[in-house]
Amino acid sequence: MGRLIPNVKRDVTFPAIGSILLFVAFVGAGLVYQSFFGGAGERLVTIALIDAILVLAIQIYVGNTGVLSFGHIGFGAIAGYVFAVLAIPSEQKLERIADAPFGLASIDMNPWIALVIAAVVTVAFAFIIGLGLGRSGAESGSVAATVITLALLFVTHEVARNWPDLTGGDRAGLAFPIRGSLDSRIPIYLALFGAIVVARLYAQSRSGRLAVAAREDNLAARAMGVNPLVQQMSALLISVVVVSVGASLRVYENGSILPDNFFFDLTLLTLVMLIVGGRNSVTGAMVGVGVMTIGRELARRLGQDGFEIFGIGLDSAPLDWIFRENLQTVFLGVAMLGFMIWRPSGLLDDWELDEWLYQRFGRGADPKPDTLPEVDAVNAETLRAADVEVSFGGFKALDGAGLEASGNEVVGIIGPNGAGKTTLVNVITGMVAPTGGNFSIDGNDLSSAPPFTLARSGLVRTFQNLRLFGALTVRENVEISALVAADHRKGRVLPDADSLVAEAGLWEHRDRRASELDYGNSRRLELARAAALAPSFLLLDEPTSGMSDSESLTMIEQVRHMAATVGAGVIVIDHDLAFINGISDRIYALDQGRVIASGTPAEIQADPLVQAAYLGTAAT
Amino acid sequence: MTELLQNLIDGLGRGSIYALLALGVAVIFGVMHLLNFAHGELITVSGYAAMWALTSGVSWWLAVPLIIVVSIATSLVIERVAFSRVRGASDFTLLLTSFGVHFVVQAIFLLYVSASVKNFPRPGWVSNTYSIGSLKVEWFDTVVILVTLITLAAVTYLLQRTMFGLSLRAAAADFDTARLMGVNSNNVIRGAFALSGLLAGIAGVFWLMRAGQTQPSAGIDPMLKGVLAALIGGLGSLRGAVLGGFVLGLAEVVLRSQLPDSIASLTEGVVFALIALLFIFRPGGLITVAHAERV
Amino acid sequence: MAKTCWSPPSVADSQSERPTPGAGETLLRVSGLTTKYGAISALRDADLHVNTGEVVGLIGPNGAGKTTLLGTIAGLLAPDAGTVVFKGDDITGAPSEQLLRSGLSLVPEHRRIFVDLTVEENLKIGGFTLPKADRPALLDEMAEQFPVLREKWTTPAGYLSGGEAQQLAIGRALMSKPDLLMMDEPSLGLAPLLVDVVFDLIDSLRASGRTILVVEQNATRMLAAADRAYVLRSGEVVAEGSGDELLARSDLFDTFVGG
Repeated sequence: MGRLIPNVKRDVTFPAIGSILLFVAFVGAGLVYQSFFGGAGERLVTIALIDAILVLAIQIYVGNTGVLSFGHIGFGAIAGYVFAVLAIPSEQKLERIADAPFGLASIDMNPWIALVIAAVVTVAFAFIIGLGLGRSGAESGSVAATVITLALLFVTHEVARNWPDLTGGDRAGLAFPIRGSLDSRIPIYLALFGAIVVARLYAQSRSGRLAVAAREDNLAARAMGVNPLVQQMSALLISVVVVSVGASLRVYENGSILPDNFFFDLTLLTLVMLIVGGRNSVTGAMVGVGVMTIGRELARRLGQDGFEIFGIGLDSAPLDWIFRENLQTVFLGVAMLGFMIWRPSGLLDDWELDEWLYQRFGRGADPKPDTLPEVDAVNAETLRAADVEVSFGGFKALDGAGLEASGNEVVGIIGPNGAGKTTLVNVITGMVAPTGGNFSIDGNDLSSAPPFTLARSGLVRTFQNLRLFGALTVRENVEISALVAADHRKGRVLPDADSLVAEAGLWEHRDRRASELDYGNSRRLELARAAALAPSFLLLDEPTSGMSDSESLTMIEQVRHMAATVGAGVIVIDHDLAFINGISDRIYALDQGRVIASGTPAEIQADPLVQAAYLGTAAT
Repeated sequence: MTELLQNLIDGLGRGSIYALLALGVAVIFGVMHLLNFAHGELITVSGYAAMWALTSGVSWWLAVPLIIVVSIATSLVIERVAFSRVRGASDFTLLLTSFGVHFVVQAIFLLYVSASVKNFPRPGWVSNTYSIGSLKVEWFDTVVILVTLITLAAVTYLLQRTMFGLSLRAAAADFDTARLMGVNSNNVIRGAFALSGLLAGIAGVFWLMRAGQTQPSAGIDPMLKGVLAALIGGLGSLRGAVLGGFVLGLAEVVLRSQLPDSIASLTEGVVFALIALLFIFRPGGLITVAHAERV
Repeated sequence: MAKTCWSPPSVADSQSERPTPGAGETLLRVSGLTTKYGAISALRDADLHVNTGEVVGLIGPNGAGKTTLLGTIAGLLAPDAGTVVFKGDDITGAPSEQLLRSGLSLVPEHRRIFVDLTVEENLKIGGFTLPKADRPALLDEMAEQFPVLREKWTTPAGYLSGGEAQQLAIGRALMSKPDLLMMDEPSLGLAPLLVDVVFDLIDSLRASGRTILVVEQNATRMLAAADRAYVLRSGEVVAEGSGDELLARSDLFDTFVGG
């Protein structure tokens, strides 16, 4: 048998090595820069280091879940104020916010303890916000979630401005006794390194991978037993911890905090950095911070001094109308627009340094895994659906359909277009709520369970119109299911993911993105991905659609073999009757949302009702 | 009782402006699936136009049409320069594009006009009031509510009774099929932006009359109110957007007057907390639009 | 029918082609049309033509490429090779909104009526491209032709039954006064009685001189209703002939039941 998941080398060792390299490269570049530009350069680099922590935090959420968040700087504001209120010596606080609630003004706390408390408090806020985010995101799409994050940013700003008893208000703010109280960069270095490691390891972790699967295709992820809300919440909480640390350090380094420090400008800056580099990559986020820090500084200097900064004696007077103070804000806005219009995936897309290193140096021999033995044990589970009804706005897609399948047979469903075949599979996999009837496995009623629960109970489907996790490799697609199976299909023999890839005939394509596969291979990958969940029943929705006749016939063997390998029963819909007749032990024929016949393939072919349904009755 | 009635009138006045803004956001969301974070920039740009006109002695009577025309023109220009290039892109790209537009417009005023707040005269009657029994009603609120009702009636007529409105609704429901009927996608999208600009222009007139000032970041507030109201009402629903606007306006006014003094300044925060609660219990907004999930 | 090599006929060729005896001139000519979804060819090298006044059927099993063919003609899908000539003009790859103006109208699969709009509004939008003055007369005509719709004139279309919705979809397509009406699976999901209604409608449209191209899965009914028909299988046109000729060929039916 092949190896276990996770692959320690790929998922831990190399990301750790990559993190060190990224850190060294970034800090090294910063040190080189400041050695040229002295004091001003030093400050710029310090700020860039902290910006990088914030950008990495946003990357953890945005990159892995695909939900755009404007709210992370708002979380930063919460953390920043908690940190400031706790860590600033009571002497200063009694001057500014003597009336602060809970006697906060007279607290003197070690800044590092304050930082931890700031993170804890902010995470508590994030948890509550996250509940609303997840619910509305699931209902109305990620746009609604994004608006909530934007509102959060706005409201933290409003509260900070209008609660002077706690925050020192709009003008004065809160301040440490001397500016730049943080006299050493060591904490920043440590936090940055930590942020890189956390971001990389999270992306490689179970939760990170499942979140990415849901990012690529939410519906398919749910059908594979992933509950996206859980993964999005964990991504949010982890990212908020990192953002809290970054924000606290920013306040500490700056020596003060004002509402405007954590508002639109910083949101724009961090988001531009993230998308310029490539939001789906930690390396990209770091590159984005570097590129935009330099670009912004250049724009700022151009705005101030024109071409003089190059010392080449060029006369920039004709361009004076462009080179104004604050040129950098235009630069940031234009960079955001330009990248969205011409290169929305950023400079690096999802290229990751350590993955590249792993592919080059870490793989070693990657022997093709052994073939999997077919499971001997008979799967005695029975799926039973009865009297299922579904109406869409007056149209009855299913009108009392039912079927029964046991775990050791292949059951086909046929019927003309619109007969209700796909709707039946949708009901059984929780995608469509039935308006009547029920279905169960071994007597356990599952009629109203959500898709991911059904998948974990052993009902796993494929999709008519292919829903692969496009940006993931072939291997990673199958591993997603294997990860879910490891937690939720414990009682069964779990097939090795690599072996399933090989069984599906995809071994040579194992490291290609799923989106690059041709049609037939995509179908085979969907089958392997479903099989990796060690299902009790595989539900295949038109597995041969778009295949040539000869390809369809080879699918018969592949489906049967794959099902036998994981010991699953098969329920298959297809319009290719040669395929259905070849693969099925029994067939149900549907028409008008009802079962009109059931029996062996030969019986079905001879059935006059079926013939009439397919060919149409002669005109009367 | 009197206090509640007073709140109701104040809330309707405030909510009217939000409703106009939200409707403009919803119209564009309908045809393009774009949540327009640059919607407030229409008020920024027309605000500067109004400032320029009013400080050079033009009367408010002329400033009103100017604000509306500038708002419509800005809406169309933004569509042409930015949004037409990302039609059909992912939600993520659309959202960040509109966010980028918001910042570019803001930065342009910051750089090339002024970073500071610019004041202009407000019309004299804005703070005048009249009394009905014990109620004190602002003329301003009265005008706002009346104009909003007339505008909503006109928009309803436009959407229900004209061929353009019909094509807009059809395109919002099913863009491909609308094209199959011969509806030109450019025309319908530009029409939506023009309508959105018109609505923002009318809202902008009132917004600016009351504010009497503008600045580069002036668009943030109206944008946020419009977008939030559209979300409260249920994204994709035009009726929901109007309803959301009134609900948001009423909630703000009622909370501001009912909350204890110590936290009255935090009304925005409380409103947000309520919205967050709304989304936990009713994640689709007040009027839920069916989102068919194609399997 | 399926050719091994493909050479696109020029527009001039297709125009000089003699019309089929006994029918009108060639209204639509599709030559060598190939359409791919990603790597797969949903449609390979398809040829067909429709003459003025004919009802032409396109039959074949699910997934044979019928809808793809119609969608490509209607400009909803972009072809990878081949030409579509309509009324002598090469319209290959033209956007659907433009095709309607040249007289080509499609009743899409699943009807795709606007459920929030009323019956009247659905019909009106069907006549979007017409001069305003023409619409009232056409609306009256539709009300007359579809009594079912007249009864529900101001009802939101979402409340119509399947059969009514299909009639609305057809009426909506007729509102643009098309020279060629294309229907995609008009009997889809309809009860047998309503299938009769749809085919009766096709008969009456033929009687009134309309030119119609219908994709249909209900082969027997379609062949009975059509002047000519094409059989598609696996993305290729495998047979062509008059309805009766094809009805007599039992070998074709094995295609459907897969024997």
